[in-house]
Order: sequence, then structure tokens, then C-alpha cells
Amino acid sequence: MSITLDIKYAARLLHKKPVFTALTIFIVAIGLGLTLYTYSLLSNLVFKPLLLNKDTPIISIEAEFNQSHLFRIGIDPYDLLTIRNEMDSIDEIGVYQDRTSLIGNTQNNSVTRKYNSVNIEWNVFEFTGVKPIMGRVLMAEDHFEGAEPVIVLGYDIWQHYFMAQEDIVGSVILADAIPTRVVGIMPQGFAFPMTAQAWLPIKQELLSPTDWSRNGLFAYARLKKEVPFEVFQQELALLNKKVVKLLPDNVRWRMDDFEGYLRAVPYKKANITQFYSIFITMAVVVLLILLLACINVGNLLLARVNERFKEVAIRVALGIPRNRLILQMLLESIFICTIGGFLAILIAGWGLELSNTVFEQMYMATEQKPFWWQVSLDVDAILLLIVAVVAMIAITGFIPAWRALSGDFNAVLRDGTRGSQGKKAARASQILVISEILLSCVVLVIATILLSTSYSAGQADYGVDTNNRITATIELPVVDYPIREEEEFELADTLKRTAFYYQLKDSLEQMPNIEGVAFMSQLPGTGAGASFFEIEGRVAAVYNENPYSNNEVVSRDAWHAIGMRVIQGRDFNLDDISAEVDTIIINESISNDFFPDGDAIGQRVRRAFRNPDADREGGWQTIVGVVSDTYHGSAMRTSSEQYSSYFMLDHIGYSSIDVAIHYNGSQAEAEKSLQHAINQVNNNATVYNMQSYDELISQPMILVSAISKVFLLCGVIAIFLAASGIYAVAANSISQRTQEIGVRRALGASDSKIMQLFMRKAVWQLVIGLSIGITMSLWVVNKMTDTMVINQGSYMVGLIAIPLLIIIMVLVATYVPTRKIVLMEPSDALHHD
Amino acid sequence: MKSNNNTNNTTDIRNAENAAQVLVNLHEIKKIFYTDDVETHALNNINLTINKGEYLSISGPSGCGKSTLLSLLGLLDTSSSGSYTLAGHDVSDLNRDERAAIRNKEIGFIFQAFNLISDLTVAENVELPLTYRSDFDAKQRAAMVNTALEKVDMLHRAHHFPSQLSGGQQQRVAVARAISAKPSIILADEPTGNLDSKNAQIVMALLDQLHQEGATICMVTHDPRSAARAERMIEVFDGKIVADQRTETPTAIAV
Ligand SMILES: Nc1ncnc2c1ncn2[C@@H]1O[C@H](COP(=O)(O)OP(=O)(O)O)[C@@H](O)[C@H]1O
Ligand SMILES: [Mg+2]
Repeated sequence: MSITLDIKYAARLLHKKPVFTALTIFIVAIGLGLTLYTYSLLSNLVFKPLLLNKDTPIISIEAEFNQSHLFRIGIDPYDLLTIRNEMDSIDEIGVYQDRTSLIGNTQNNSVTRKYNSVNIEWNVFEFTGVKPIMGRVLMAEDHFEGAEPVIVLGYDIWQHYFMAQEDIVGSVILADAIPTRVVGIMPQGFAFPMTAQAWLPIKQELLSPTDWSRNGLFAYARLKKEVPFEVFQQELALLNKKVVKLLPDNVRWRMDDFEGYLRAVPYKKANITQFYSIFITMAVVVLLILLLACINVGNLLLARVNERFKEVAIRVALGIPRNRLILQMLLESIFICTIGGFLAILIAGWGLELSNTVFEQMYMATEQKPFWWQVSLDVDAILLLIVAVVAMIAITGFIPAWRALSGDFNAVLRDGTRGSQGKKAARASQILVISEILLSCVVLVIATILLSTSYSAGQADYGVDTNNRITATIELPVVDYPIREEEEFELADTLKRTAFYYQLKDSLEQMPNIEGVAFMSQLPGTGAGASFFEIEGRVAAVYNENPYSNNEVVSRDAWHAIGMRVIQGRDFNLDDISAEVDTIIINESISNDFFPDGDAIGQRVRRAFRNPDADREGGWQTIVGVVSDTYHGSAMRTSSEQYSSYFMLDHIGYSSIDVAIHYNGSQAEAEKSLQHAINQVNNNATVYNMQSYDELISQPMILVSAISKVFLLCGVIAIFLAASGIYAVAANSISQRTQEIGVRRALGASDSKIMQLFMRKAVWQLVIGLSIGITMSLWVVNKMTDTMVINQGSYMVGLIAIPLLIIIMVLVATYVPTRKIVLMEPSDALHHD
Repeated sequence: MKSNNNTNNTTDIRNAENAAQVLVNLHEIKKIFYTDDVETHALNNINLTINKGEYLSISGPSGCGKSTLLSLLGLLDTSSSGSYTLAGHDVSDLNRDERAAIRNKEIGFIFQAFNLISDLTVAENVELPLTYRSDFDAKQRAAMVNTALEKVDMLHRAHHFPSQLSGGQQQRVAVARAISAKPSIILADEPTGNLDSKNAQIVMALLDQLHQEGATICMVTHDPRSAARAERMIEVFDGKIVADQRTETPTAIAV
């Protein structure tokens, strides 16, 4: 009824102060929008359990995350069998091995194309509750040895590669040159376990192995309904202890430095382990921003109540019931927060759409976008928004309502002056200023450090020349290049694989547009494998007190192709293959730090293991060369080692390896040359992830740089909120004291005395706010360093520039309003209300 | 006459012959302010009875406690000790909400500083106390506002904002607001203090008129001529009532 009057009145007040209204709505919209966006992002990518048509979450069972290589590792099939047999809490489980397949057509063997595929257990389709749109899914019999090779194709392959061919089911296609029968087509969007576009049966011997091997499998599982995930983790930890004890020496490399091996992770989280703390930091920052926004809006409304104090007093005198008064105070908050909430949906929706675009770009080359990386606002998010709006109304409305209820109205009504600011109100506004300082400090420091770190990582010098270089991964066809377990074939197989690479290199280098070719296990700037090494004559007592280095496998005559130089000694040569001594090349940093006299050449080193036989004799490798320094791994990693050791490809002959090609002319031409050369040597070999070296390096950084853009946005918003908030809070609490200033001046205080009084108070608030703020930021930043290297420069910017900025903001925010009042005539100030 | 029957209940109690004639009864009221270790005894053992329909003025030197007394009467403040009976009900120990309800129904305030809400129109200001209860619908409220504004001759300015009015007009609107809900008692603290003599005259005449129509009025003033218009003059000194006299011809001194 008459509440409509109150609503009309509140609307009129807001309409009369358009700037105030717009500002507060904007702050609310930004705060809520950012929260909504971050919530949707994090819940879609990380926190919301992956259910897929059933009501128990899917988990991943895999080996301990490799912190120094930054990638996920599978479990020995033999140990997985143990898990299957011994863990009763598991309801459903299946295993898989990610891979890529070269899909081709038997009719016209023209173009083959690489697709993400997976060797997987037949139960996956039942596990996910997804049915094929055509044909059938895999069956247990498909795993058996001697069974006809079959494949289930994804919608995408069928639509685009096979042009939606209607009789595709039952036809035979080529998968890695093997004739394979298509048995089914899965619906659009189905890509479980993560990015699969085709599903092949996993070999039976991996499902029921009789011994440990070098294979690694991942498992997807659902627990029994009554078993909480934490309980399962504990059970698995116990099993891990048992399993680790049983591991024979040749597979002890499976466990990490802390005897960790088997682990269970929520499915989505497993995929972003290396970014987990960045995501958490992001959530923290956004929450802080929301809090900052709340305080800002609360303060703005508080200032309004102070302006409206007389009106409130009159209403009290006229007998307004208390709940009506509170409602009246809340009405403005309700207006502002509700409109802000609607805008927040637009902001968040726009942000999420943008994120989807970024994800598309991120995974354009590798097609490795997990199928759940599609973010949108869902019911949960809207519920959260509603809760947040209500909470915000409560927080922002409570402050003014409290003020309105606790004022001395009698005095206001009698002499028309505002009730003088009580001690309580004065303390409250002090606390507001300090929390503004504190929160701004934390948000800005974190945002700055992250930003500057990711910026400098993007600028990092990896010690290689990436101009006019393309990179790719080459995979040898298993049919032509088998890896036989029996020892007597090992050398022959290795030589055969190696021969492929050098043939490819020769045929490429004969082309006029190719300047050089380098094969390396992992190219500088990308992830690496590291281990401890011992130097002959100075072996440390404990293996992990030895120095640590990246280990890379490299082809002969590779350095110049990626802009590295041999500084001392020589490159690997053909003689090293058959020579009695094993040879190794080290980088300049090792040479400088351990052989400062320049006598590295001819010295011997070897890799150090956790539990060597005390009297281990062999394994020594003679240093034949020193090459220029490079950095492996992205610069966001703690594990970027400055030491690198290089082993000769000829001794190992991986079946898949990275290649870097130095070309002249166009990149497209170079890519064509590579494809052409491969087809010449063996047209069953696959080349994929073809991209420029620069793209390769930026690849692991894309997510970080995307997130750092969000942080940049957060930073800008935080600066805006901090500046406007600090100013408003300070100005508000100072204008409360207008009369006091008038009295002081009337009593003869000089301008500078009054300025001093207020500035001194500001300095105190700064000292308190900043010291707490800096401590808190350091704590949060410390948490982030799990996953990234924070360079000195970033610390400097974050911990010096930001506090300085805040100091300036607070001093200005104190100086300007105080000055304004000081310049008033004392008589005006006295009668000010 | 028929419609009167509905309200007979309350009217009967108020008009009941003996004790019911008494509207206000203050007994041994004390008010002490504590500020920074200083105790101010603003009111000392005040005993005061106001009958229904009385026109009472309170005067005395500045700081003697007039406004404090009026605040207590208006339930804007609570006494340190003593009891207060309003219309037969003990109102000394009511909670904030109950006191708000009584202020709203039984008391009309007129302040020296007018205290109109600047963002509400004249009509809305007058309507304000009516909106704080659920007895009236919008139509009834509009009618009551019209009546009140008509009485103070401000109907033609109903849709103006207070800032568009002169001080005298504002105070007339304030009077309309005070009477719009037909309170039992009108409390006025120096109602002419901010007005020039001509406007003061108009406002005083308004109060006289209200009194003649049966309103109970209690007015603080330090202007002896204004005080003399009341039928009963109370003098306060140092927190005590030092004189309480009835004038023979209440409105005769009007100039
Ligand atoms: N809120 C208050 N706090 C402290 N002292 C007060 C307060 N209100 C009034 N007083 C003191 O009580 C005494 C009476 O004040 P008041 O009733 O306003 O006098 P007046 O008769 O001028 O209206 C004065 O001494 C005044 O200083
Ligand atoms: Mg007074």
C-alpha cells in the first residue's frame, strides 16, 4: 500500500542523483559480474564434478603429477590391475591411453588427417551413458588378440572427413595405415575421456597384464555411492604404500621423490593440475574485489544516510515503525543491487563468450580442448547471483540502516544540526578507510605480480632463435618401426628409427628453402625431463644433493638449426655411435659452475638415481662438448633449470620426437616441404602439431596469459574501486567533521594545523592498512609460487609501486576534501549540515 | 451522527467525566544527561497534568529544560526516572516500536526549524504520518491531507516542494502535517522562532483556531506575548516548574 510511496520516494532520490546512482550501480554490476564470471569459469572448468548422465562424479586415477615436467603420468597396467582387484569402493572403472591416429580412406589413399584418438576399454560408452547415433559401440571381444581391428568414429570425423557418408558403418578405413572397420558413430560433442575423436579398443594385454612394463594407462572411475571421495583417497594412499614397496628396481622411476605414485583426482581437476593455484588465486582476488565493491557501495549509501539524516529524524519523530525505516534504508540498496545484478548477468555472459573464443584459439593447433571446456551461465550461477545480490543488499543496506537507527534524532530536530558524529560512527568510518586500503593493497599486489610475471614470461629469452622456424611432432608408424621387448632386437630397432630421422633430415636439407633441421626430445622453451647428475670425483653423499639438470635427446648437427652454438669441444659425430665411451654434451651453465677452469671436456658425469647399488660402477658419460644455454619449460615454472645435458639421438631413437626446421621463404612452403619429405621417406609416418616455433613456445602460456588478462581487468577494476572508494570514504568521514573543523578554526586553529591533524590520521590508517595488506598479499603470493616462478621485478612492482600508489591515493583523498572545508568560512562550516 | 457511533468507544473513554479528562500526567520526572563525566540535571522532579483540550505554554530562560520537557512529552526521549501516563496508559516503559506507534497516532509535532522533508511535496509531507499506519487507504489519506491543508490555507501549494515556499508557508505545512492524523496532543517547540512577526502571527492564529476546535496544544516559547495566548502558562527554571497559572482571557491579548 503506502509502501509504494516509499518506493516512489527512493526512486525519486536515486533519480535526483544520477551520477551517484550510476556509479553505485556500476560498482555493483562490476563486482557481481566478475564474481559470476569467475564462478561460472571455475565451476565449469574445475569444481563442478563431471557427472555425465549418472549421479556419481567421475574421478581420474593416475600417477602423481610430474611437477618438474608439468604433465600427467599414467599408471603401470599391472598396478592398475591391482587397483581393480583390491579396491572395493570402486563401482565402475575403465582404462585408456591417449594417442593420435592418422585417419585415411582405403578407396583413394590421398589425404590422411591426424585426429585425437584413444585406446580405450569397451565399457567407456556404458560408463558415460552415451549411445552411438549409428552402429554399435565397442565390445569386450574387440580387445582380444586376433580380433578384427575396429574403430568407433566421432561425429566430426564422420561429417568432415567422410563427408557424412551414409554407409560408413561397416566400411573399412585406415587408422594409422591399418585397415580398420568402422562399427559406430558417436553423437556430436562426445569426446570422452577428453578430446577423443575416435575410439579404438585397447589391447587385451594391457587390461590383464602379467607383469610390470613401460606402459602407462589412465583410468576413469566412479565410486560406489556410499563412499566419499576422501575415504577413497585414504584407501588409495594405503594401497600406494603397498604397491610402491613391491615395485621392482626397473620401474621404481614411477614414483616421485616422496614415494608418491597412485593418486585419485576429481576428473576435471586432474586436467588443470598445473593451473590449479592460479585458478584459486583468481577466485580469491575476485572475492576480494566483491568485498571491496560491497564496502564501496555500503560507504556510498552511508554517506547518503548522513546527508539524509535530518529527513530520517523527522520520520522518526512522526512515528515511523522501525521495520519501515529499515526497509526504507534498504530500498535504495535493493534498487541498486538488483539493477546491478541484471547488468552483472550481461557482463558475465559477455566474459564467458569471450572465454569460449579464447579456448578455441588456445587449442586450435592441437585440438586438445577438453570437451567440458565450454563455459556458460547455468542455474547454479544464477542462484549464486541471487544469493550474492541478497547478501549485497544486506551488507550495503545494513550499514546505513544501522546508522539511521543509532542516531541522536532529538538533537537534529531541535537545533537543525546534524547529530554530531559519535565515537562509534567515527570508529566505523576509520575501519572503512583501513579496510579499503587493505583490500585494495591485496588485490592490486596480486594482480600486478601475476601480470608482470606472465608478461615477462612472454618476453622470456629461451636462448634459441625462433625466427623462421617451424616445429612439429613426428610419430613413426609402429607397423614399420616396431619396438620389440626382446633385448636382441633393441639395437636394430633403434638404428632403424634413427635412420628415418636422418633420412628425413637429409632429404629436407637438400631442399633450397630449408636451412637446417634439428630433432630434440623437447625443444627449448617447452617442457623437459630432469634428473640429478653426478660428477666424477665429486659425487654427493645423497643422490639428491647432486646438481639437477634437464636431459634432452638431440640429433647430430642440430644446434645451428635452432640458433644454438657449440662453445667448446665438438658436436656428436658418427664415431660416437660405436665408440666404447658414452658421450654427452653439457651447456655453458654447467661448465661455468662446475668446471670454472674451462676443463669440462673429457670429464665424466652420470645420472644419479634414488637407490643405486652402493658400488655402482658404470653409467659414466664423457663430456665432449659445451653448448650455449637454453631454457626448457615455460617461464611460469619453478622447475626451469638452468642446467641442461644432451644425449645423442642415435643411442635412443625415440618413436616420436619433436623437430625444428629453419627455413627461408614462407612458412607455408616450409610446412609443405616437411610433409613432402616425410611422405618420401615413409608415408605412414605422422606429422602433427605443425606450427611456428613462436607458437609452440607460447602454447603453454596461452591459458596463463588469458588468465592474466582477467587479472589485468581485475587490476583495473580494483584501481578504480580503490581510488573511488578511498576517496569517498575519506571524503565522507571528513565532511562529517565539517562543524568540528569550523569550531576549531573559530577557536583560532591555523589552516596548516587542521591539515596536519587530518593528514596525520591518514598516515596512521595507511600504516595499519598497508602493513596488514602487504602481509596478506605476501601470503597469497607465496601460495601461488607452487606453480610459477615470480621474478624479482614483479615483486618490486607489486610490493613497492602498489603501496606507493595507494599512499598517493589516500593522501590525495584526504587532502582534497580537508582543503575544501578549510577554505570555507568558519561560520559556514559551523552551520553546515 | 450515525457515523460517530463507530468511534464512540475511544471518544467515550477520553471524555469520561473524572480522570479521563486528564490527557497527560507526568509524575516525579527527572532527566539527567551524562556527557564526559558531567551530569546535567535537565529536569528535576517534574509533576505536570494536562487536561484534554488545554492550550498550554511553557516558557523560561534558555537552557532551563523546556525542550527536554517537550521531548519527553513527545516520546522523543526517555526520562531518567518518574512516570508518564498518556491518555490513561503508562508510556514510561515502552519499547522503541511502541513509542513510535504512539508518536504516530497521538502526537503532532511542530518544530522551530519546520523540519519538512525537502524531497517530498507539500502533500506528501502532510501525508507522511498517515502512511506509517495501515488504517487508511490512499483515498482516505488524500482526503485527510486535503482537509489539513485547507485548514492551514496551503491547498493551492500541495504539489510544491518545501524549498519553493516561504518560512511561514513551510510552518503552516508543518502545522497541517501535525494535525493531519488528528493527534491527541500537538507539541510545538518555539514554532515562531524562525519566523518574522507577520508570519508568526498567522501561525499563532492557526494554533488558536485549532485550540478552539478542541485540540490540546503544548507550546514552548520564550516570547511572553505568544505565551500569553495560551490559557495556561507554565514557567520552568533550572529544570523545575516554578509557576503554573491560568490566564483569565486566553486570546484577549492578541495584537
Ligand atoms: N543531548 C543532550 N546532552 C547533554 N546535555 C543536554 C542535551 N540536551 C539538553 N542538554 C542540557 O540540558 C539542559 C536543558 O536543555 P534544553 O531542554 O534544550 O533547554 P531549553 O530550555 O533551552 O530548551 C541544558 O543544560 C542542556 O545543555
Ligand atoms: Mg530549546
